[in-house]
Amino acid sequence: MTMLATPLEAELPLYFGVGGELFGLYQSAGTPARKAVLLCPPLGQEQIRCHRLYRQLAHALAAEGIPVLRFDYYGCGDSAGASAQVDWQRCLADARDAADELRQRSKTDRVIAFGARLGGSIALTAAAAARFSELVVWDPVLDGNAYVARLDAMQNALRRDPQRFCKPRLASDAADQWLGFAISKSLRQQLVELRCEPTTVPTWVMDSLAPTTTREWQSLGIDASRVNVLQPPTPWDDLGRLELAILSHALIQAVTAQLREVA
Amino acid sequence: MREQAFRFGRADHMVGIAGLPAASTQAVGVIVLNAGLVHRIGPFRLHVELTRRLNACGYPTLRFDLSTVGDSGASGESQTRTQQVCADVRDAVTLLSRQSGCTQVVLFGLCSGAQNAHTVACTDASVVGAIFLDGYAYRTFGYRLRHYLPRLFDAGRWWRTLAYRRNPSTPRSTEPVFSVVALPQEVVRADFASMLDRGLKLCFIYSGGISNYFNHARQFRECFGRVIARPGVSTRFIAEADHTYVLTGDRNRLLDNIEHWLSDNFPVANAGASP
Repeated sequence: MTMLATPLEAELPLYFGVGGELFGLYQSAGTPARKAVLLCPPLGQEQIRCHRLYRQLAHALAAEGIPVLRFDYYGCGDSAGASAQVDWQRCLADARDAADELRQRSKTDRVIAFGARLGGSIALTAAAAARFSELVVWDPVLDGNAYVARLDAMQNALRRDPQRFCKPRLASDAADQWLGFAISKSLRQQLVELRCEPTTVPTWVMDSLAPTTTREWQSLGIDASRVNVLQPPTPWDDLGRLELAILSHALIQAVTAQLREVA
Repeated sequence: MREQAFRFGRADHMVGIAGLPAASTQAVGVIVLNAGLVHRIGPFRLHVELTRRLNACGYPTLRFDLSTVGDSGASGESQTRTQQVCADVRDAVTLLSRQSGCTQVVLFGLCSGAQNAHTVACTDASVVGAIFLDGYAYRTFGYRLRHYLPRLFDAGRWWRTLAYRRNPSTPRSTEPVFSVVALPQEVVRADFASMLDRGLKLCFIYSGGISNYFNHARQFRECFGRVIARPGVSTRFIAEADHTYVLTGDRNRLLDNIEHWLSDNFPVANAGASP
């Protein structure tokens, strides 16, 4: 006997976009929808760490009657391309293509984007071109230069981590990579230059940054009423948890509640 | 080469990506099992890089999520985890066979994936080979000698350990980690002998990342006895690498090893066909 994995309609794995290069999982809500949600993933190891949470969020939103598309950028996850081919402009274009794919499948023009970390930065930067109606961003990276410096520091610590390697590895062994993923010089430069600009698209921030981290939400034109502070802080930069999933029921509840309220 | 996404399985509950070489081939297929709870792309996308490289060599592949892991749901059956894993891999073999025409498979698994590959390889007639990365291993007398003796006289190690404990830049997580109790050593040894009797080819690649219980190439023999010297067994110990091959150079060398082992043991008739 064939049984569904969940009470919801099962997610449909698919390839889409030009040349079918992008992988996605579409979760139908089963009923005509007035809005749909595109989940923009972070890049690199943060994408793997958030995978389970994104799946849980997709199911929670579908249970609210909201169709959802998860997807991987070119060079990420199950999409075509090598990790070293990840390119910021291509990520923005992929988010646009994914939004169009979601509109076509859900038969609604109103697409809301959610993104964690660089996924949030991509949602913010691509908002106008992808015609997002609203944004929910979780600890988005607003200052690319500082983010690159943190990744470089973590990569340098990683190669000397006695819990991982019997002997410290040479700097050359760890060059041109961030936490398990090859990176190109162009991506590094693109991220160094990343500075998210204010957007006219209504935006809510889910803030779970460490208390010591500088907040820059005002620079996006987002006032405090649109910032939802979550506890506990998310250990994004903890090398000791590099391969542990990031899970947050608080985040899922907050995002689901926010999107339920959006008329 | 083309990749296709599938929802499949006896309850249509699993998600997988089949990689199909451009040229039709009768080669064995390669099925890649989850490493722990990481979804099918593998740690740092290892499984994507592996399957695409093997596709380019002419091997059809399937990387997929076992029941309740990654994007796969539950089957809804009342089964033990072992029964479930065996049924999941059977479904995966059926899918890959239907898509590529291959009737035999090599299993690939890292860590718990190696344990699952072991479980399935014990009984599934379609399995003709297995690649175990950091699979079963046991602390031996030789391990203890190699582990403790040098530490007693290594001032540098004492200094690094003390410095690290005094000022840990990355404190270790105390969160619980899911793990599976290892099978008894004698059972595993007998299982390997039985697999080899059935004609399976076995490839063991262990890393320095499991130095808390494995620390030298000799330990394969110390753990598993003469069975490890039998034809059909290949062993490699990569001391400098970590458990999940976080550095791209280590990962590329690992993939080189696997590609060579496969081409030596399961040559593709039309090897060299362009992807």
